[in-house]
Amino acid sequence: MTSFVFKRLSQAVIVLIVMSILVFTGVYVIGNPVDVLISPDATQAIREQVIAEYGLDQPLWKQYLDFVGSMSTGDFGRSFVFNMPVGELISQRLPATLELAVIAVLLASLIGVPLGIYAGYRPNSLASRIIMAGSILGFSVPTFWIGLMLIMLFAVQFGVLPAGGRGQTASLFGIPFSFLTLDGWKHLLLPVLNLSLFKMSMMCRLAAAGTREVMTTDAIKFARAAGIPERTILRKHVLKLISIPLVTVFGLELGSTLAFALVTETIFNWPGLGKLIIDSIASLDRPVMVAYLMMVSVLFVVINLSVDLAYAALDPRLRLKGR
Amino acid sequence: MTELLKVENLRTYFETERGTVKSVDGISFEVRKGEIFGLVGESGSGKSITGFSLIGLLDANGKVQPGSSIKLAGREIVGLPDQELRRIRGREIAMVFQDPMMTLNPVLKIVDQIAMAIRAHEKASDQEVRRRAVEALARVRIVEPEKKIDQYPHQFSGGMRQRVAIAIALLHKPKLVIADEPTTALDVSVQADILKEMKALVAELGVSMIWISHDLATVSQISQRIAVMRRGEIVETGTVAEVLGQPQHPYTQGLLDALPSRARPGELLASATTESSGPIVLDDLAKTAPKAADGAFVQVDDVDMVFERAVGRVGRFTQKFGIGQPSHAVHAVKGAKLTIAQGEVLGLVGESGSGKSTLGRIICGIYTPTAGNVTVGGRKVREGQRKLGTGVQMIFQDPYASLDPRRTIFQSVADGPLAHGLTTRRDARAYVNRWLKAVAFDPALADRYPHQFSGGQRQRIAIARALAMQPELIVCDEPVASLDVSIQAQVINLLIELRRTLNLTLLFISHDLSVVRHLCDRVVVMHHGKIVEEANVAQLFEAPQQPYTKMLLDAVPKLAV
Amino acid sequence: MGDADMSDVIIKDNFESAPPASAWRDFWRVFFRNKVATIALGVVLVIVLVAIFAPFITPQDPYDLRSLVLRDARRPPGFVGANGMHYLLGTDSQGRDLLSAIIYGLRISLEMGLIAGAVAFTIGAIVGCFAAYAGGRFETFIMRLVDVQLSFPAILLAFVVAALLGQGKGQLILALVFAQYAYFVRTAHGAASAERQKDYVQAALSIPMSGWFVITRHILPNSLPPLIVVATVQVAAAISLEATLSFLGVGLPPTEPSLGMLISNGFQYLLSGRYWISIYPGVALIILIMAINLVGDQVRDQLNPRLRK
Repeated sequence: MTSFVFKRLSQAVIVLIVMSILVFTGVYVIGNPVDVLISPDATQAIREQVIAEYGLDQPLWKQYLDFVGSMSTGDFGRSFVFNMPVGELISQRLPATLELAVIAVLLASLIGVPLGIYAGYRPNSLASRIIMAGSILGFSVPTFWIGLMLIMLFAVQFGVLPAGGRGQTASLFGIPFSFLTLDGWKHLLLPVLNLSLFKMSMMCRLAAAGTREVMTTDAIKFARAAGIPERTILRKHVLKLISIPLVTVFGLELGSTLAFALVTETIFNWPGLGKLIIDSIASLDRPVMVAYLMMVSVLFVVINLSVDLAYAALDPRLRLKGR
Repeated sequence: MTELLKVENLRTYFETERGTVKSVDGISFEVRKGEIFGLVGESGSGKSITGFSLIGLLDANGKVQPGSSIKLAGREIVGLPDQELRRIRGREIAMVFQDPMMTLNPVLKIVDQIAMAIRAHEKASDQEVRRRAVEALARVRIVEPEKKIDQYPHQFSGGMRQRVAIAIALLHKPKLVIADEPTTALDVSVQADILKEMKALVAELGVSMIWISHDLATVSQISQRIAVMRRGEIVETGTVAEVLGQPQHPYTQGLLDALPSRARPGELLASATTESSGPIVLDDLAKTAPKAADGAFVQVDDVDMVFERAVGRVGRFTQKFGIGQPSHAVHAVKGAKLTIAQGEVLGLVGESGSGKSTLGRIICGIYTPTAGNVTVGGRKVREGQRKLGTGVQMIFQDPYASLDPRRTIFQSVADGPLAHGLTTRRDARAYVNRWLKAVAFDPALADRYPHQFSGGQRQRIAIARALAMQPELIVCDEPVASLDVSIQAQVINLLIELRRTLNLTLLFISHDLSVVRHLCDRVVVMHHGKIVEEANVAQLFEAPQQPYTKMLLDAVPKLAV
Repeated sequence: MGDADMSDVIIKDNFESAPPASAWRDFWRVFFRNKVATIALGVVLVIVLVAIFAPFITPQDPYDLRSLVLRDARRPPGFVGANGMHYLLGTDSQGRDLLSAIIYGLRISLEMGLIAGAVAFTIGAIVGCFAAYAGGRFETFIMRLVDVQLSFPAILLAFVVAALLGQGKGQLILALVFAQYAYFVRTAHGAASAERQKDYVQAALSIPMSGWFVITRHILPNSLPPLIVVATVQVAAAISLEATLSFLGVGLPPTEPSLGMLISNGFQYLLSGRYWISIYPGVALIILIMAINLVGDQVRDQLNPRLRK
């Protein structure tokens, strides 16, 4: 187990190094930030001064090392556009995205998984057919369009819910969150629903596929032959067997939901990271782009790592290998 | 003895894409109290479906037809609601399945799986459950049951898992246990133990048992009465002595005649032909046969094979610092040494994990040995990573897997000869037809795909594919192990005839000693990667020298008539 | 959008190499028994035909600026224009006939989805099969790379690449391929390594047949069924991605009447009650994606031997 953890950790580090190189070159090779930073009619002297100030005259590898060096000390540089430290900028926006994504994924799992297990357990019943058809609809409808429809219905037509913004927030550990106030919940409801519909369909289909497969195994047949009630079979055998792939998906989905949020945030004007990255790409704000991508990389590596560990904890075949 | 189970006119039909399949079509039999009743048949005979019909666990598209009757201790089971059936399952009728690797849930501890089975029918405290779990495992002779109940299935061997499954089946001392090929997936030594113990347990607990199997020998050993099934019907039923001693039905007679153990070694088997095959046409091929007999035509020198689980660079790094576990290496073959003379058939015998298949693949050039050499006719089979020449061909165990489903029979046979210049595109058709005729396969069917043929026919095609390369040596890896006994007899006959005509040199890998005795000149026994004994067939079977060989020979179930 | 994730479900399924020839007829017989899937297939075919013959059936050519009447902009469905033009689904903010624009939009969506899917399919099949066959470091390297890439959502990758490359059809296809090829590689690799272990490949290698022969004649053909299923899902995903990127303003230039662009343009009028500019293109988009997914779903069920009875 220790060697497994160690192995995964070192793999994670390698992945991060590779990602940092990819992100750095990817972002820095394309586009010229000087055009953004300096007005076209600035003098040559000012140009050079600005270039030197941001270290843009250095060779690429030197810039990369500087970038890694300063990043490891938590310094992500200053945003060209917002003219403030990127670290600060991101930590300002992160909670909004985090709360949106976590609630959305929880909602998706709590509704999607039970529906999926049911649909996989009784694949031929009418309810299952409806669930499966619904889930296909769910992942066929583009998130941005659902968002528009939600706004049109609930904000424009009925006028019961706000069309955007975070609403009133309350502080927890000094960080503002919307889910602590009623008004915040009103603002959360539509974006969360928007973000979770697609995930819900995914979870539902995965759970259904897993359950359907597990149900055909000899282990289930043997349990039935021993007269074990169906409810026990579902609760103990099936849930335990499909929980392994589901945990993997849960982790990965949490990660991808954070990224997905960029569509939802744009539509609902939610001041999170997704909106930030869209704005920064539009304005070629390199430090923000790099920091965002690196942060996402770290996030995914951490998520993958914890998924692997959870996997090992759930599956005795993996856990006990070292004994 | 009074009857416990009375089955009358049982019909189980399945609705499939291709219409109704009558898997069980009007069978009647009864099982008496305390009796082991054998249900024998080849694949597709409906014997397993019968078992599942009795316990009410058919797949969704299967249905016991109205008019069928299954009476357990006088009570009609057919037509009972699901809830009632569930109460019967495990408490009155229990079942043991074929593959012990699949029947236990891999993510639940043994004790939890036993607990569920106990609580399916009665309330029990955790303490009570543990006590009974220990008791149940002890009953099936699992050592240290107190420790073992807290382990997971993957920590158990196949034989032990099957014991656990049996223990679970016996938990509530059911009236009837249905055992569906319970020893088929096990090694012969393990099988012998389980057979003995099952017999004792049945007597001890006074339960009745239906033993479903394709293997006449094991069934004859364990049961008192048997029924022979064929295509959903029972063709013959009676005591073991009656049915196997004086078979009345030609099908039963055919099954018996197909057993190599009942024929003189080397003799053609009189098989119960269920699939037609043309005559073997070999005349023009005989002249290509090599004549000379060289004592060591094939030479295997000190071959070692170590499979290392890929650890990768990080793994090696962690090992260096003592954090990781030592690399997981499997020493599959240790210092193997053997020779095969030209025209000889050498049997390579061993249980699963003995390394016999690995050695076969090394000789064939599929694997590169870690150490040692293999030469055929003085030339190395492998040089570095490359296989040299076409002199060694292979026939695989599973004819369903060894032919590419997307290539026609003609393509499968012609690919090799075309690639290696044994024939030209223009002559390929005639060339392939010649070899297909040699294995008694109708060349007119050569443009069809493998899925249109039965296992026996496919194995013929695989043999033709090997022959068409005109090899100096053919490695046969369990070529008849997955075939029904009547088909097995045909393939054995084919090999005997081919061998006579073409003077083939064969390495015949098998776990089935009766087939080896029938077909081979000399035998090599492998155990845990090492060759433990080597002798002529007659010598080995009559006077085995090594204790392992003796044990192996003793464990082989013999037809008890 | 990242329906790409759906291939997770597929990859976990084990595919049996279905036999060809006679199996083909059987396949369609079973397929047509599912009415929903049959209707979906019909819808896909109709949309494809409509897209191909768009110039001959649309009332108006949305590229032809002379035919646009700005005065008729944002008119509701059923409006009859000054020039006698009957706008069945109304007009958009530039005065384009919405029906014509939607048909052209479907054409663009299909074009993007199919081209991107085909390119990603080809890359994936080749790389995946070779990696599975070659094994060793090459395989480890490729698969590690793919794993890393797959841990990032397709939408993010596509968005970043599209943003960096700028607007345009070529750039968009590149972004879509970059976001999706890894799914094909992983599927092809999974299927090919399963085939690689099978006896018939071992048999071919023991003859010995050349590596090239084994890959092209044995492994690749037998790895196709799961790839085809992934392809249907990925084409649908690509279409959805394209629309999303265009909606976010990093996809196609505003001159192309892509569905995402139409919806995006209508967004600002949504709040003022001019719902049709956004809704009708959205409905068209959903019908297309959903029909493809329904077909893919049925194909997957049919190719999964463990669920086949």
